[in-house]
Amino acid sequence: MSVRVKVRSAESGSTVDMELEGDNTVNEIIESAAGYWGMSAGAYVLRKGKSLLRGGATVAEMGLINDDIVELIPDPEGGCLSAKGGAHPPDGQ
Amino acid sequence: MSVNIVSETKREILEKAPPENAVSHIWHKGTNPASDRIIAYVNKHAEAKMRNHALAYRDKKLEVMGLLLGEVRTWQGQEYVLIRDVVTTDLDATSVSVKFDDKGFEKLFAGLDDSGFDYVVVGWYHSHPGYGCFLSETDIKTHGGIFVSAHQVAIVIDPLNFQMEAFLLRDNIGQIHQFKVYWDTWDDPYGGLKKVKK
Repeated sequence: MSVRVKVRSAESGSTVDMELEGDNTVNEIIESAAGYWGMSAGAYVLRKGKSLLRGGATVAEMGLINDDIVELIPDPEGGCLSAKGGAHPPDGQ
Repeated sequence: MSVNIVSETKREILEKAPPENAVSHIWHKGTNPASDRIIAYVNKHAEAKMRNHALAYRDKKLEVMGLLLGEVRTWQGQEYVLIRDVVTTDLDATSVSVKFDDKGFEKLFAGLDDSGFDYVVVGWYHSHPGYGCFLSETDIKTHGGIFVSAHQVAIVIDPLNFQMEAFLLRDNIGQIHQFKVYWDTWDDPYGGLKKVKK
């Protein structure tokens, strides 16, 4: 049985209505939403309220139901090392 | 099993003038900015949170990081972001790298909820303690993969050299742009005195 949930992009405030099956995973939700908005799927996490939805968990396992709202949150990584070694700006900056 | 996206509801971009009470940041050196355009207005409390976060780890020389919350606006054909708050959580950091700790997401989510407004993530901030302000190769990869909208800002802070800069990514190069710190009229401690006639 399918459920329809809202996925909100924290970066745009836009939402998509997504139709999911019980065996769809969090990773699939992230990949679909990130792909739809032209973003890199590997750098996001999904939350429902204050809970992190783990990548391999399924819709059924998470107990997602119709009209639930989940949110796509960026998970950035910073650093100042260059590939050539040392902490300095890349060429051209 | 494929996922079916049925429809999208887009958030409108607000057309509104930038805040009147705004000044350049004292740490903003802005050497060779890409343009004279002000790309971001940072609320003074949000700015203090970022700066103090970076300063708190200055002696340990650890990087810090967080998300910029606010809204996207346009005015007279120019897009800018209003940064109303910032959120962060426990970090997995060294002097040359930083990311959210795997166990820190619930704290991050609580911070998002506590912001108290219908936020959008308009960018991110992080520090380069002692190394200057620039977008490294790691930062460029991050920004280019996640913060793909043209208005999304990266603020970089060097708490040892007292520098703070705002970057946009163009053609895979981090460009320094102008930003300002703003305050609301009610938030000016001496604002009321201006109305007192002697």
